[in-house]
Amino acid sequence: MELGPITRALLRNKLGVILIALQIAFTMTVIVNAVYIINDRAANMARPSGLDEANTFHISSIGYGNSFNESVVVDEDLNMIRQLPGVIDATVTNAIPVSGSGSSSGYGLEPGRRDTLVPAAIYRVDEHVLEAMDLDLVAGVPFTAQQIVRRTPTEERQVTETILSQAMAESLYPDDWRQALNQNIYGPDGSALRVVGIVDRLQAPWPTFTYVENSMLTPEITLDNSTTYLVRTEPGYRDELMVEVEERLATAPHQRILRNNQSLEYTRTESYRIDSLMTTILKVVIGTLMFITAMGIVGLAVFSINRRRKQIGTRRALGATRFSILRYFMTENLIISAAGVTLGAIMTVGFNMFLVQTFNMPRIDWFYAPIGMLALLLLGQLAVIGPARSAAAITPALATRSV
Amino acid sequence: MFMYYVRLAALSYRRNPILSSLMVLAVAVGVGAYMVVFTLNYVLGGDPIPHKSDQLYHIQFDYGDPDVADFEPPPQLAYRDAITMLEQSSDFRRAATSKFVAILEPPGNDLRPFFVNGRGSSADFFAMFDVPFQYGNGWDRAADDGQRQVVVLSQELNERLFGGADSVGETINMDGHVFTVIGVLDYWEPTPKFYDVNNGPIDTGEEAYIPWSLIAGQQLRRSGNTNCWAAPENSSFEAFLNAECAWVQFWVELPDSQSFDRYQTMVDNYVAEQRDFGRMQFPVEKRLYDVNEWMVYNEVQPDETRILSALAAMLLAVCLLNTVGLLLSKFLGKSGEIGVRQALGAGKGSLFIQHTIEAGFIGALGGVLGLGVAAIGLEGIKILLGPEAPTQWITINVTVIATTILLAIASTIIAGLYPIWRACNINPAIHLKTQ
Amino acid sequence: MLKMTGINKVFRTDTVQTHALRDFSLHVEEGEFVTITGPSGCGKTTFLNLAGLLETYTSGQYLLDGEDVSSLSDAQRARLRNQKIGFIFQSFNLMPDLNLFDNVDVPLRYRGVSAKIRKERIEQALAAVGLANRQRHLPSQLSGGQQQRVAIARALVGEPRFLLADEPTGNLDSNTAEGVMELLEQINQQGTTIIMVTHDPSLAARSQRNVHILDGQIKSDDRNSKARAA
Repeated sequence: MELGPITRALLRNKLGVILIALQIAFTMTVIVNAVYIINDRAANMARPSGLDEANTFHISSIGYGNSFNESVVVDEDLNMIRQLPGVIDATVTNAIPVSGSGSSSGYGLEPGRRDTLVPAAIYRVDEHVLEAMDLDLVAGVPFTAQQIVRRTPTEERQVTETILSQAMAESLYPDDWRQALNQNIYGPDGSALRVVGIVDRLQAPWPTFTYVENSMLTPEITLDNSTTYLVRTEPGYRDELMVEVEERLATAPHQRILRNNQSLEYTRTESYRIDSLMTTILKVVIGTLMFITAMGIVGLAVFSINRRRKQIGTRRALGATRFSILRYFMTENLIISAAGVTLGAIMTVGFNMFLVQTFNMPRIDWFYAPIGMLALLLLGQLAVIGPARSAAAITPALATRSV
Repeated sequence: MFMYYVRLAALSYRRNPILSSLMVLAVAVGVGAYMVVFTLNYVLGGDPIPHKSDQLYHIQFDYGDPDVADFEPPPQLAYRDAITMLEQSSDFRRAATSKFVAILEPPGNDLRPFFVNGRGSSADFFAMFDVPFQYGNGWDRAADDGQRQVVVLSQELNERLFGGADSVGETINMDGHVFTVIGVLDYWEPTPKFYDVNNGPIDTGEEAYIPWSLIAGQQLRRSGNTNCWAAPENSSFEAFLNAECAWVQFWVELPDSQSFDRYQTMVDNYVAEQRDFGRMQFPVEKRLYDVNEWMVYNEVQPDETRILSALAAMLLAVCLLNTVGLLLSKFLGKSGEIGVRQALGAGKGSLFIQHTIEAGFIGALGGVLGLGVAAIGLEGIKILLGPEAPTQWITINVTVIATTILLAIASTIIAGLYPIWRACNINPAIHLKTQ
Repeated sequence: MLKMTGINKVFRTDTVQTHALRDFSLHVEEGEFVTITGPSGCGKTTFLNLAGLLETYTSGQYLLDGEDVSSLSDAQRARLRNQKIGFIFQSFNLMPDLNLFDNVDVPLRYRGVSAKIRKERIEQALAAVGLANRQRHLPSQLSGGQQQRVAIARALVGEPRFLLADEPTGNLDSNTAEGVMELLEQINQQGTTIIMVTHDPSLAARSQRNVHILDGQIKSDDRNSKARAA
């Protein structure tokens, strides 16, 4: 290799080196941080809600007029839905996981100790919830039909049981979440709930919620004329059942409107729309930048080769093989790129620190920078192959030409 | 002479089309991407009501939960405070406002009942926020006090219900209550929705507006973010209204510094009084925020666009570094021509102008192409934002067009400074000899 | 040493076919100092390119040091150039970005000589042309004569079997040219074969043998007994 002479020659032509090295450094900074943001978002999006998302949909019914009796309608609707072929089960719920809207509260181990409350999403559901949401009970028992409380929003709550997500149980009993079973936990108003069961996983409705894995189920149906049904189907039945359920609910003789008939997959898409938008934009940015940088490398390489055609001919005359010439320009690019990625590594970490501080994003994993460095070295080599090959094709006879 | 140099620039482009196109492309991509982000930020970080944004103030009270260490005071008011502020601010334009939802039963039998998102607001709301009316007007404070069942429709809802005709005087039925239409809005979709930032700053506006007092009167169902830091005494609606639950936006218009000072004193006194009752124990930095301060305080500008701004700036930097290199190649590649021009009497000044115009020419082409890049980018973002988000605000306006072209020309010339300098200082002798 | 028999070199474009060399035969013995003269376009440079393996010929036979080069690959020809031939160009062809040491180093790099030996030989070669103390200078800091001396050092450093010089004094003033000529003659006296293309009759007169080319063919081949023979 000719690292020494190549480097010394490059140092006589600092501007070209600086231009390419800076481009590579900026490109690396953007690409590595963009990939990291994409991965961060993808990891968020990949967190399972705990439900059988592919085979679940939900639909809301809002009654109006004096003749609407929600308590009767709910039973009628749920009976109808549960008997449809292809339906595994259905429940009524006040909130849909991943949807972005719901309600939360705090619960703790001692009454009146509001400082110890652990935040959790509250799902008000009936006894079919475990089947309908496809939750695995890892301790305790399901709700029974007798435990379901029906009340209007202004009636006092009488619920006394709850089922926790395992993460919620772990928040309350960090040493052994199983201890939560059969314990009483207390809400902000001091009311007690007895933990009758624990399910393996159930996300809160808000993807950005700090305590996104903390959820509680309570056996109650709120009679405020607005009801949301969550339906789980056999694989392959979802889409036709969405149509059928809406039709049947619409033809039932009740004064109501039906809204938000959505598959849970659609709900998830909507909830994470900004994340996937961001991901797409970043992918476009990465592609564009790699293209522009590669073009820049090609452009400057072609220029510097054209400027040195006679030198190349002379080198060929002095005994350089085509491969030596190819290797010369590949090595030259490698040296410039190495300077670029070294600066790039510093800038990458710096920009990441900015992201961490300004946007509370997690720190970049250690392996991102080295992988980014390798990727850009490779990009540089690939970009310079073309110009280097054309340099290698220069005839040695050029050395004796007088122009 | 200018046109001569432009022609030279065009000729130079044609002589070296690949290198020149590469430069135009780099400038276009860099500037185009920057303008996409600029447009997003221009709207989301811009002033939604420039002529009076410094006169409209939202109140932030010293709410807090003694048991929660890092409790952030919610950016809304509790009902009881909103009521008191309405009373105590009656010298000024002021509005308490919050959202509601209702089932609307359209007049006649042609349309099925449907769900509407509405807003309850005090009478001054329309005047304070310069809400444009197509027909009729808003209501007056007497209607607030009297809980009159009047409604102002959005342009879209009026279109849906009455085919866009002047519907003032018609009635509509929401949740079983009859409301008289007294006004219809013109198109009004401020982005960000600055008057209610805590229910999503990029959100479609409400379809129906009614006196806010009707919400507390429980005529219609309240909606929107609600944040409680003490449990209501019981489940009744009265207990909820009295509880430490924030769900009301409250705006006041203070036209001059005198009224601002007066109002500030009033608010401070109120907080001091409430503190004696054991409420509002957690001092906030500031209690009156004007529109722009409020948007910054509530972080209306999404993290995403701020991150993208930084990335777009770096993308632009790469594209310009690229342009520096390519311009350098191009200018030094025609050293011979420059040498001949110098020999024929071209001074450094005229070489400078010639090459500046050549750089500007490439920048201008890049700018025009960059507009296309920006348009495609924004269109893509609209598609990706999906059907449920309002996207009318994502448009290329005159500001964006002008900024794009100017940015492209200016940045290309700046990128060209060093190459131009080199071109002007080429030694004619060397290059004439080797010709 | 160098034996060309019936060499033809034809340049073809779409419409024209030019014979640069026609049935060209030349035999150069070891230790000779041959000058090649002729008017512009006569085929001097083509001859030089063929002799230096910079170009291939259309037909004929060329034995270099006894080896038939017609069927060699590009890489093999590069290796032969590197090991057996030293080039001296009219415009020196030094690498402007490399200092003298690195310039002289170029052919040795392609030969894969160890760093220690390279250093010794480069210093020797630069000393032989009187530039031992200028190793870190750039070519642009030297006069034309000095630059050509560096080029000669570069040509000699690989200890080639013969030197091919293309108008080595063409870009130099007469005093400097004389110095360079003396240096070449000195090298020749030490045993290195030299073939030099020139258009200067006085230089041709100084050599042992002058070959005059016209229209791609040898017009005359004179041995000069009065030359400062070895």
